[in-house]
Amino acid sequence: MPVKDINIGDTFDAVEEVDKYRTIYYAGASGDFNPIHIDPGFGEMVGLGGVILHGLCTLAFAAKTVTDWSGDPGALKRLKCRFAMPVHLGDSITTQAKIVGIEENRAKIELSVTNQDGAEVLTITSAEIEL
Amino acid sequence: MAVDKKFIGKKYGPLTYEVGKEKIKEYANAIKNPDPHYIDDDFAKNTKYGGIIAPPTFAVVFAGMLADPFFKDPELNLNYAMLVHGEQEFEFFEVVRPGDVITSSGKILNIEDKEKLDIVTLEGISKNQEGTDVCRATFTFVIRK
Repeated sequence: MPVKDINIGDTFDAVEEVDKYRTIYYAGASGDFNPIHIDPGFGEMVGLGGVILHGLCTLAFAAKTVTDWSGDPGALKRLKCRFAMPVHLGDSITTQAKIVGIEENRAKIELSVTNQDGAEVLTITSAEIEL
Repeated sequence: MAVDKKFIGKKYGPLTYEVGKEKIKEYANAIKNPDPHYIDDDFAKNTKYGGIIAPPTFAVVFAGMLADPFFKDPELNLNYAMLVHGEQEFEFFEVVRPGDVITSSGKILNIEDKEKLDIVTLEGISKNQEGTDVCRATFTFVIRK
């Protein structure tokens, strides 16, 4: 490292589609079988309009945007978000990232994570990578 | 009913999780992340890590185990039906590899009693078999009253 020349103000982004079986895969791999994620009837009953994606899967999409860009997953040192809105099957999640600070051997990154309507599904999302 | 602040500092675990290579691959597939660091032995052996590593957010699999005794704690008596995961923070200190034996210890960091909701923060510190910290995970749960 550094894997690349990084400057304050640099931006990058990526899009992930939430396919109709994503919550089933994520439940199996993570062990989180909360019915709001896997049972459409339950999701309807509690007013979510069907199943919703695990928030931590959305956060993993945001993390992937950073690690794909940096090229070194082990360089990700900090990751943070607030879960602001449910993500539904069929949604398209865009992560836009911006380098906002470089201190010693760390780059600070602000992330905007939105759905296909432009609504922020995660807020106060940020990451830090080791340079 | 408010969550009693006397439970700040209450501990959960330690809980132990042995990391399997195929579980890492399963998780990478679930988050739609086919980065060869996670799934390709031939690629991974030529990286600085010398083999497959787990995606950073794989930490939810071992640190997230702490949520189970916390949610089910009869003393704390959380209203699970009213609970949502509000915020999440991770600090990553060391990569996680297949064969690692990760021990996670949890602690209630804070309880805030607001007008319409309680905010409870659970911290999990995970160490590997060498005693090295691998991750600090902070889960913030919001419970509507």
